[in-house]
Amino acid sequence: MKPFRRKGDQLVARLVDAEADIVNLLLDQLEQLLVADAADSGGDPVLARLLPSGHASDPQLAAEYRDLTEAGLRSGKADDLAMVRATVPPEGGEVRLDAEQARAWLRTTNDLRLAMGTRLGITAETEPPDIDPSGEGTDDENSQLAVYYWLTAVQGSLIDALAAGRGDRR
Amino acid sequence: MAGPLAPERVSETSTGEESALDRPWVTVVWDDPVNLMTYVTFVLQELFGYDEATATELMLQVHNEGKAIVSSGPRERMEHDTNRLHAYGLWATYQRDA
Repeated sequence: MKPFRRKGDQLVARLVDAEADIVNLLLDQLEQLLVADAADSGGDPVLARLLPSGHASDPQLAAEYRDLTEAGLRSGKADDLAMVRATVPPEGGEVRLDAEQARAWLRTTNDLRLAMGTRLGITAETEPPDIDPSGEGTDDENSQLAVYYWLTAVQGSLIDALAAGRGDRR
Repeated sequence: MAGPLAPERVSETSTGEESALDRPWVTVVWDDPVNLMTYVTFVLQELFGYDEATATELMLQVHNEGKAIVSSGPRERMEHDTNRLHAYGLWATYQRDA
């Protein structure tokens, strides 16, 4: 991966073939999660984190908020996901984003990190695994942790590139 | 230490005419172990128009104290703010101001 950098008004990164495959696989998994019936996935901590409660202690307010917002939140995430999928080079290569596409990437990479982070039980003390992300012979949890930290690097570079651009305009 | 005070919104929708009595609701962002500090700062700037110093201060309050009030106003607007934060994956709730 070549991290995101600003080039004029655009944000540009480069993914190798295997990285593009991983992103597409993760997008497929997130998509399945977002169309899952809430009743079927009741109690799923990942869905609870992606579609959080709007009120901490009042169940009635929380239910009202969910009625009002959940469908829109799901469809917004689905739109973001479709936009990201359309900008991933199928065989690897350059990712080139305008401002709107960059926001979709920010939100979707964050949703992927939230989903993986929740499944993996990430805490503030969790450290990156001491393996090569493409390394063989590592156990599944370490591989997933490596992907999580790879996504963190992708999103982090995009945030930095966007924030730097904002500073330039002032 | 004094309690958290939400900075004035600087979005274009702010009328500046609301009195404290009309603004009994707040939006709270909670700390979580996944969202990057730079991301939280970026989102607070993006959604509320805060300058970098203000957004960074609020982000650090979330990080160090576990939560921060990021906006205040009528209930409907706090629902809307919470929804916008959820779209960016921040852990947010709204409540009547204590």
